[in-house]
Amino acid sequence: MRHPTEGVLRRLLDEPAGVSEPDRAHVAGCPVCLGGLAAARQDADAVGTALQPAGEGTVDLPAAWHRLSTALPAGGVEPAPVPARARRARAALRRPVVAALAFGVVLAGAGTAAANDWLPVFRTEQLQPVGLDTADLVALPDLSAYGDVEVTGGDGPQQVPDAAAAAAQSGLDVPAVTTLPRGVTGEPDYQVVGELGATFTFSADRAARAAAESGEPAPPAPAGLDGSQVRLVAGPGVAAIWGQSAGVPALVVGRAVAPTAYSSSGVPFETMRDYLLSLPGLPDDVADQLRTFAADGSTLPLPVPSDRVTTESAEVDGVPATVLETRDQALAAVLWVEDGVVTVVAGSLGPDEVLTVAEDLD
Amino acid sequence: MDLVQHGRSAATADLPLPLPATVIGRAGRKGVAVSGRATRDAVRADLAEVFRRDYQRVVGVAARVLGSRDEAEDVAQEVFLAFGRSAVPAGEAPGWLSVAAAHTALNLIRSGRRRASREETVAATAEVVAPDVAETVLTREDRSRVRAALAGLPRKHAVALVLRHSGLSYAEVAAALDMSPGSVGTTVRRAEAALRKELIRHASSD
Repeated sequence: MRHPTEGVLRRLLDEPAGVSEPDRAHVAGCPVCLGGLAAARQDADAVGTALQPAGEGTVDLPAAWHRLSTALPAGGVEPAPVPARARRARAALRRPVVAALAFGVVLAGAGTAAANDWLPVFRTEQLQPVGLDTADLVALPDLSAYGDVEVTGGDGPQQVPDAAAAAAQSGLDVPAVTTLPRGVTGEPDYQVVGELGATFTFSADRAARAAAESGEPAPPAPAGLDGSQVRLVAGPGVAAIWGQSAGVPALVVGRAVAPTAYSSSGVPFETMRDYLLSLPGLPDDVADQLRTFAADGSTLPLPVPSDRVTTESAEVDGVPATVLETRDQALAAVLWVEDGVVTVVAGSLGPDEVLTVAEDLD
Repeated sequence: MDLVQHGRSAATADLPLPLPATVIGRAGRKGVAVSGRATRDAVRADLAEVFRRDYQRVVGVAARVLGSRDEAEDVAQEVFLAFGRSAVPAGEAPGWLSVAAAHTALNLIRSGRRRASREETVAATAEVVAPDVAETVLTREDRSRVRAALAGLPRKHAVALVLRHSGLSYAEVAAALDMSPGSVGTTVRRAEAALRKELIRHASSD
């Protein structure tokens, strides 16, 4: 008979009853296995001793419970409404340099979604977990109802071993965090998202049909718009992610080439954008994405779910930035765009903490 | 020298059950009162009961990773805060708590390891290493080296090892980590061999 595996020998030390009778009989009469068993025992004993914690073995249970109780939420209290901030959030969406991170939603893989529908699928029905995704850095609006869309790239987040590899693969400087906020420890995971590109050819027919479905006629299209092409490009992007035992990032520092529109033929992008925005029935999220989409790559066109997120203006090293916080105050982020590159610092932290990290980035 | 991995493995993905997103981040910042933040999250009704039953063991798991009971209690508090606001089924609570404690403690060491190595380069080690490791006389340095090596193991191996040495049965470890009971022995054995090698390597090089 074959020798039992080292795993079986190991279990024999702890739970002989868990090892089959033939295996036990074999080991008892086999010098090789007995040798292996002795080695396993030595290793187990040595490691057991090394892992033995120092000091008293008992805990003060009442004191521990008291400590936990004070840390628990009082419970049941709805957060106060913040109408003023909500108004500001809507206004912020229309500002030219609004970089917005999709909070409270997890993109269902921008790559796949982009290939199928050219729209990241926002699973807005999913309240938990509140998450952020490296793919959020690279996303484009869905215009497939208004013309032909040809998508290129969009390779979903890909793990790379370290910052150097991330930099090499993305061509971006990977921001280095000099001081981690309290509660964030360890080394980050690095992820890279490839460039996502889409060529959109406007179709007056399809735009008219899409508008008609909303029950209103489309306004007349500007001359030369039908058949005009525009190329939208987002990414590549990199992210350094400090995990937690929960699997939800404690801290994410991301950087991506901001989405940029290129007019290739026909009317300028701005003309096409403004016409699309004038169409009845344009989905709100697409409108938000489009509205913040400048031809010079100065924005990150991701809609902010303003019912879930509050936004405020700030500055990071003199550059205008937007601070976002989920209304449950579980997550905060700061984003800014400089030289066509958007940088994001986000995490299960407070707004002050993400700003501190942002200002300390190398 | 495959013991210390500098890049992270997909460690956090090993946790079999999702923790609520809002929890660990808040709890992870010590001294921050959680009340008033994320107050919509209700605290589960069986928290006190589970706490009484499992707190000591959760501290024990973290203490095996950290070697310090004070730090272990900090970890246990964090883990129970997360648990209190989770919807983990009651039957899975003991395994969930143990795995969460091991992960959280291992995350702590990863940062501590760097600090320790800096200290080592500055301070000459005064302690005399026992010449015969077979006697398992361990210096403080040995212990910290074992912990650093533990943090460098593949995360699942490290957690399985710690859970086993914390008294969980093979079946419990298997259930908690979503492994087959048959593979627990192999995983634990490999982790032990790796840590022992680390102990011997340093003892013989002195």
